[in-house]
Amino acid sequence: MDLPQGTLDLLILKAIALERQHGWAISERIEQISNNALKVNQGSLYPALHRLERRGWIKADWDVSDNNRRAKYYQLTKKGQKQLEEQTGAWRSLSAAINLLLDHS
Amino acid sequence: MFTDLYFRLRALVRRQAVERELGDELRFHLDHQIEKYVAAGMTPADAARRARIEFGGVDQVTEACRDARGVSLVDTLLQDLRYGGRMLRRSPMFSCIAIATIALATAAIATVTSLADTLMWRHLRAADAATLVSVSATRGRPTEGVVSYPDYASFRDRATTVSGLAAHYSTAPLFVAVGATAKEVNGAVVSANYFPLLGLQPVLGRFFHADEDRVPDRDRVAVLGYDFWRTWFAADPSAVGSALTVNGVPFTIVGVAPANPVALTPLPVNVYIPTMMLRVGYRWCKDSLASDCNTLGMVGRLAGGRSVAEAAAEFAAIMPERWRHAPVGENRGVAVRQPRGMSEDDEEPRLVATLGAVAILLLVVCCANLGGLLSAQSASRQDEFAIRVSLGAGPLRIARQVITESLLLALAGGAGGLVLSRVFIGALSRMFFSMDDEGHPLVYDFSPSMPILLATLAAALAAGLLFSAVPAMTAVRRSSLRPLATRSTSARWAASRGLLAVQAAVAVALVATAALLASSARLVLTGRNYDASHVALMRLRPRLVQYTPERAQRFQREVVERLRAVPSVESVSLVGVGSILGGGTAKATRPGWPKEQEMTVRYNEIGPAYFATVRTPLLEGREFTDGDTLQAAPVAVVNETLASRLEPDGRRLGAVIVINGTPRQVVGIVADAAIISRTQAAQPWAYIPFWQNAGAIDSRIAVRTSGDPAALLPELAREVHPIDPAVPIADTITLPVQIAGLTRPVRVAALFIGYAAALAMLLTAIGLYGALAFAVSRRTKEIGIRLALGAGRGRLVASIVREGLGVVLAGAAVGVVLAIFASRLVASLLYGSAGSDWLFYAAAAAAVGVAGLGASLMPARRAAGVEPIVALRQE
Repeated sequence: MDLPQGTLDLLILKAIALERQHGWAISERIEQISNNALKVNQGSLYPALHRLERRGWIKADWDVSDNNRRAKYYQLTKKGQKQLEEQTGAWRSLSAAINLLLDHS
Repeated sequence: MFTDLYFRLRALVRRQAVERELGDELRFHLDHQIEKYVAAGMTPADAARRARIEFGGVDQVTEACRDARGVSLVDTLLQDLRYGGRMLRRSPMFSCIAIATIALATAAIATVTSLADTLMWRHLRAADAATLVSVSATRGRPTEGVVSYPDYASFRDRATTVSGLAAHYSTAPLFVAVGATAKEVNGAVVSANYFPLLGLQPVLGRFFHADEDRVPDRDRVAVLGYDFWRTWFAADPSAVGSALTVNGVPFTIVGVAPANPVALTPLPVNVYIPTMMLRVGYRWCKDSLASDCNTLGMVGRLAGGRSVAEAAAEFAAIMPERWRHAPVGENRGVAVRQPRGMSEDDEEPRLVATLGAVAILLLVVCCANLGGLLSAQSASRQDEFAIRVSLGAGPLRIARQVITESLLLALAGGAGGLVLSRVFIGALSRMFFSMDDEGHPLVYDFSPSMPILLATLAAALAAGLLFSAVPAMTAVRRSSLRPLATRSTSARWAASRGLLAVQAAVAVALVATAALLASSARLVLTGRNYDASHVALMRLRPRLVQYTPERAQRFQREVVERLRAVPSVESVSLVGVGSILGGGTAKATRPGWPKEQEMTVRYNEIGPAYFATVRTPLLEGREFTDGDTLQAAPVAVVNETLASRLEPDGRRLGAVIVINGTPRQVVGIVADAAIISRTQAAQPWAYIPFWQNAGAIDSRIAVRTSGDPAALLPELAREVHPIDPAVPIADTITLPVQIAGLTRPVRVAALFIGYAAALAMLLTAIGLYGALAFAVSRRTKEIGIRLALGAGRGRLVASIVREGLGVVLAGAAVGVVLAIFASRLVASLLYGSAGSDWLFYAAAAAAVGVAGLGASLMPARRAAGVEPIVALRQE
């Protein structure tokens, strides 16, 4: 299933909310948690990461990964934390409203 | 916000590191994905293939990431620049013309800005110049007033908004003698606190002690100007302590001022003496230190934290009580302002504004011209643009490319203009700003400054944007067409026709104005009713060496007699007030007229043969003679304007006129002869014999010669010197040089607008040539067909010339109207009657027309030379 417009940012923020991750792990995590229902297109993942970094919502550091290679790890900033909360709230109320609409018959 | 900025900056500055990191990151992802598939049981090759397919194009992802980082703007700009540089190198002819044109036009802008900066904007070159204020009396007239010593002292002692107030008389002509050398030089009479207030340090010795400026006429101490010390004393340190004579009074040199003192006027100061010695430096008042003798300017240093406005309010409150009741023309108010620029009147700011308008107009013409050439050029690059569009460039990107190229040209031109303007300013400075109307050297600081740089940069950028506007829009419109759309050349020629007509109009207006100004600059020398050529001048100032009037009269008579005997001298005369052709003012009335009818007239005391010397026609009666002395009956000569006001009923000769209270019989009537511009009304003039003014001491001698007046100057001085070597001889210059100094604005304007006119005319010709040549080259095929069908070559030439000339003449017609308006704008700079102005308009239109004819003949002849077969074989 492709991602609805504008939700990738939210998913990225959520994926690194607990601990810092590198790009591959973020896409893996999104797929795993959604039981492979959501597939992240790499062509949009990396531009999105760079965009979020530029906005200051996430920050990146280079570090050594599990398999002993240099990887770029992303983690949430304070600003990103706030964004995650706001966007989560917004998404919840949106999906609740849509569910209401769809369940109504 | 800041992370954003940091990101963009890092992306820019550390471009390679950022690119490498991006590559590493994407590679890491791929490798991880491959490992995952291998772990799931795929062969490494399959795993790699699968991962790559999933990932999509690495290049596209990289590009999308770059976009996300927000650096693409700069990237494309750099790309545009590289591309532009390559394109400009490929058409060097066009690039050279464009850069040269912009350089010539921006040089005009930079030159005007430099003039404005020096004359109107620049702070004094002093330490902490922003806290310096100049304080002057106002007189209800634009000219600012000097004050007397007691008035200065009262301001100085009462003002609290300034931490110090210094007095200066910086244009004191001092007759200085050191050993056997004697000469009149410009000096300054300054208060003891003058140097410390301006933050100056002596290079040698010391400045004045406060005590040396306390008792009148006691402390005869002098400070030398740096250049004076170097030329008169060969920079010898032992000058300090030695003696020099100022206006016949011995002084002791106590110090030498620095090489760059704070210049309050354009006249460099050679010798400074204290204000308590003012009676030596200023001899025109009975008591130079009395309250009725206004000689001093004031400069103050604002006290900490005080503003100019506060100082202005305080000075107005503490000004001398009698100023409040003074009539217009006397000191009756006080102005406090920051000294800015060297201009002393409002004529120069007006001139600079006019020249600024001309420079901007020139820049616009230049843009119109380049816009035309560039759109012709970009039309021939149509194929290139079409290819770039088909490779994926958007129309806006193409437009941006055109604009970037133009800006590149404009900035290169601007840099050239900046360099060129230094040459122009150097020339202007040498020609017009290096000597005053009395032959004294002037020093104006025309050094480069920030405003000049900014104005030039702004002009270059504006030019770049302006002249690329049309071609950029054309490029957008064109590239949205199918690449191989048919070419329409007639439409393009129609578009550039408008631009060319505008250029021709401006060229005609500028040429006509420049010609009017140049003719005025010449007329002012050999004007109506006077002729300045062949007149040499000399100023004799026995007052500086304490001559009595009787002795002075004897001296002046002997001078006149001796000079008359010099071979090649045609006539000799002298004036007592002001300059030759100039003078002062006097009250004139008729016996029995009520007080209200009294007139203020222009006035001078003149020697015999004055009107013969300056070639002013004597209409009735006679000139003064050697016999019109104090013992003879008082007489006067009036000019036509005054005569008609005194005696409207006709009989004018023999009438009695009261000048400054003395009744005089009118013995002669002369034509109106004064240097007045078109905006000034004819003035009434009254002349009395020099010999009949009991108080006349100093004089200006005028000598008409049959030869070169400049060559005669040394001989005149040699003749006069033996009569009394102590009498200072100054201002030995020719009358044309003096008038040129007095009419600097018209000559500056004539030269500057002449430059603009020449450039505008050249541009019009180049533009016309370019547009026609382009049209012809595009129509080679059509011309070939017409020739093949039997069209005459002569008619072909005629039709193309007609096309070009038609545009120019239409523009020229508008230009004549513009010229009429322009001549009104510069009327205050024009001399002579407006009756023959139409000749200049016609000549300007003809000149631009001829240039247009030349410019269209060349492409027309090329068209006529087209071989039908060759033309048809094209394409």
